[in-house]
Amino acid sequence: MSSSASICSTKYCNAGWSEVLMSMSPYGFANLGIAFGLGLSVVGAAWGIWLTGSSLVGAAVKAPRIRSKNLISVIFCEATAIYGVIMAIILANKVKKPVDLEDIYYLSDDWDFPGFYFSGHGMFSAGLSVGLTNVASGISVGIAGSSCAIADAQDPSLFVKILIVEIFASALGIFGIIVGIIQSNSCNMPISILSEN
Amino acid sequence: MTEVVAGYDTCPPWAPFFGYLGAASCVILSNWGSAWGTWKAGIGVCNMGVVYPKGIMKNIVPIVMAGVLGIYGLIVAVIIAQNINAPNNDGTTQYSMYNGYAHLAAGLCCGISCLVAGGTIGMIGDVAVRGFGLKSSGGKRAWYTAAEMEGDGTGPTDAMNADGANKLYVGSLIMLIFSEALALYGLIVALILSQHSFKCEADN
Repeated sequence: MSSSASICSTKYCNAGWSEVLMSMSPYGFANLGIAFGLGLSVVGAAWGIWLTGSSLVGAAVKAPRIRSKNLISVIFCEATAIYGVIMAIILANKVKKPVDLEDIYYLSDDWDFPGFYFSGHGMFSAGLSVGLTNVASGISVGIAGSSCAIADAQDPSLFVKILIVEIFASALGIFGIIVGIIQSNSCNMPISILSEN
Repeated sequence: MTEVVAGYDTCPPWAPFFGYLGAASCVILSNWGSAWGTWKAGIGVCNMGVVYPKGIMKNIVPIVMAGVLGIYGLIVAVIIAQNINAPNNDGTTQYSMYNGYAHLAAGLCCGISCLVAGGTIGMIGDVAVRGFGLKSSGGKRAWYTAAEMEGDGTGPTDAMNADGANKLYVGSLIMLIFSEALALYGLIVALILSQHSFKCEADN
């Protein structure tokens, strides 16, 4: 067992990174990663949808033909929320409860603490990656979609060309989920004591 | 068991926290920069497209350059995440604090550089594209009436407009390339830092 997994030297467990990080439960880190991953992705999607939707509705007052075609911008924003859902489901399936404990109130000394902390921190980071990247992607798609709707209202031939800008913007959400999946791949929560081998 | 002073451990179990934070901050900050550049330049392209639709494909370049910043962040984040080793089956850790702080620094280097490079590309791209449209169309604005659009025949010719606009385009391209170089500096330093590695291997 590593020596840093011992009692804290101060009353509030705040004398250095080891006491702070090892006193915070990995279940907390993992679940906060899930929450931030989903919540912030939805924030990005919502921000994008209100940006593009308000411009779309306003421009459609004078040019009703743009209504159905420009809903694709709203769908691009929705996709960033879907990335958050995918990441949250992947992470939620990795959070496991302990299976066989000798004493149900305390983890034993030979619990796989390194693997425990590793997976907690990894899942927190994966969720944060996906969430904050999707906020950026959502806002970008929203602003691009809003300009696309207004340009389309002015001149219909502009729509397809300006859609290219939105495609670049929504690629950023894909980068976020790729990095999130790579980070959480090796994170496995231990369910029982370390096996001797 | 021997007494160990806190802070002397080379491979504590909480070391991957910093490595993961480095990977996360890399992808987050660089994609924020890429998004910033994309939306700012995208507004300019839409503005220009209304008066001069022929120039849109040529002026997608700032948006492509901003998109590349997201790819830089992805590359560095994947490199960092692949180098974070999980603890062994017998509970010993392989990932050291040396690695953790190196990866955190690598992620922040690439992330913050790409963030500000994206902002720069967006601002320059926005104004450059609008200027290109204004110059190519001979100063025509979207709100002109039909009579104003015709002009009085004493202004510059279409050929002179196109020539002037191309000169403007070349100048703005040089500025965009210098801005992209900022992100490249961050990428290079991040790649150098991510090669720093110290593995705690079991001695037996």
